[in-house]
Amino acid sequence: MKKDLLVISFIILFVVVTFRGTKIQSVDEYYLTHIDDIMPNSKTVTLSIVCDTILDNYDRLDPQLKSDKYVPSDGIILPPTKYVLREQDTVYNILDRAVRHNKIQMEHQAPHLNSYGSVYIQGINYLYEFSCGPLSGWMYRVNGIFPNYGCSKYELKDGDVIEWLYTCDLGRDVDCQWLGIRESTSICLGGDFN
Amino acid sequence: MNAFSSYHPEVLMLYFVTVVTLSMLSMNPIFLAIALFGAMCYFASLEGIKKFLTSICFYFPMFILIAVTNPLFSHNGETILFFLNDNPVTFEAIIYGMAIALLIIAVMYWFKCYNNVMTTDKFVYLFGRVIPKLSLILSMALRFTPLFKEQIKKISKAQKTMGLYSSKSISDKVMGGMRVFSALLTWSLENAIDTADSMRARGYGLPGRTSFSLFTFAKRDFIMLSGIIITLIAVLIDIPKGFSYYPVISAIDMRFSYFALAVLMFIPFLTEVKENLKWKYLISKI
Repeated sequence: MKKDLLVISFIILFVVVTFRGTKIQSVDEYYLTHIDDIMPNSKTVTLSIVCDTILDNYDRLDPQLKSDKYVPSDGIILPPTKYVLREQDTVYNILDRAVRHNKIQMEHQAPHLNSYGSVYIQGINYLYEFSCGPLSGWMYRVNGIFPNYGCSKYELKDGDVIEWLYTCDLGRDVDCQWLGIRESTSICLGGDFN
Repeated sequence: MNAFSSYHPEVLMLYFVTVVTLSMLSMNPIFLAIALFGAMCYFASLEGIKKFLTSICFYFPMFILIAVTNPLFSHNGETILFFLNDNPVTFEAIIYGMAIALLIIAVMYWFKCYNNVMTTDKFVYLFGRVIPKLSLILSMALRFTPLFKEQIKKISKAQKTMGLYSSKSISDKVMGGMRVFSALLTWSLENAIDTADSMRARGYGLPGRTSFSLFTFAKRDFIMLSGIIITLIAVLIDIPKGFSYYPVISAIDMRFSYFALAVLMFIPFLTEVKENLKWKYLISKI
């Protein structure tokens, strides 16, 4: 019986450690985020989330997503909005704060789960990668330029303009500029497509 | 209790292939529930209620485990229940997990029935001519799990007779299980060599050898076969498509194919019931 007690106490210890390591929040708690007020001297960035390319490829969209709820009729999920920039904020931090503030659904892949060591945005507003054909997914550009790396590695500075764009054609339909120069599609999305 | 299994092997094979494929074809929850229910009823009539209940003790925790695991990895869905480490746990993901669990368990139950009904001689009768080597390997591989189960019982009985691991402590029982398992592993290797040797000694695979089997394709086999094919066609022409769980679960619509599927899935169970009633009736007349 002594052995049994030992085993049971080990199991209890394991369960306790697991539960201590998980953070359980209710829906209201999660969306309750603090957005800094914009002061005259505060640093700000502008963020917008647009999926208007889907409107041109509506027939390729998954049938269960064909609704105004998921694809707004003008294709704008979040119009250009100013957010206060905190110290060492990356594109991902701003996006996370913005979607929480506006209660927009967003799913991401944590940095340790992919080989790029950066957060990968799988879906925003229920529009996921591959939801609109095999070449679709979310991309971001800052000041009109598509960076060649993940969104949690891009540190922002005052006045940056961030756009999250949904592409249905590996970035070609959202003017991914350096795509033509490098002639390689894989770098644009940060995924291994060729 | 072998009214259905006395049908011709071709009919039985076609039936099991049909049923397992149909169970995996659609993610429609009603489809899956019918498939699972049919398999469970048939299994209970084949092996008896007691064995069925012990199998439930294994499959119910498995059902819960799969249903709980899916929402940990899939965060899509509109109805958010709570947030776990900043990731939403959604109602849709739990339901989808349940649907996957239904599918897996339905297929497993059908395979349990298959193992009971399609004995090795039937399988080799069907495929021995066409694919001799593969059919041998398949019939041996499919036999493995039941064979191991039997052997585990034998080994653990022998261990108990020797007085080993008869204490009530759970950890001792687990250790005893490990010992039994290692014995089983050694035995299975030895058994494989034994089987091969024995088959060679009896001249397996030599030219000019025939095998005897007593299967005749009777009228009732023809009736059953056409019944299976007609219901299968009825299911296929109206098969529910495009049932999706994300971001919202689509509405369940009434369909003709549900009834056809129910008929198809319950054929073996109803055959057993019919035969049982007939037997009771005949006995009552004596």
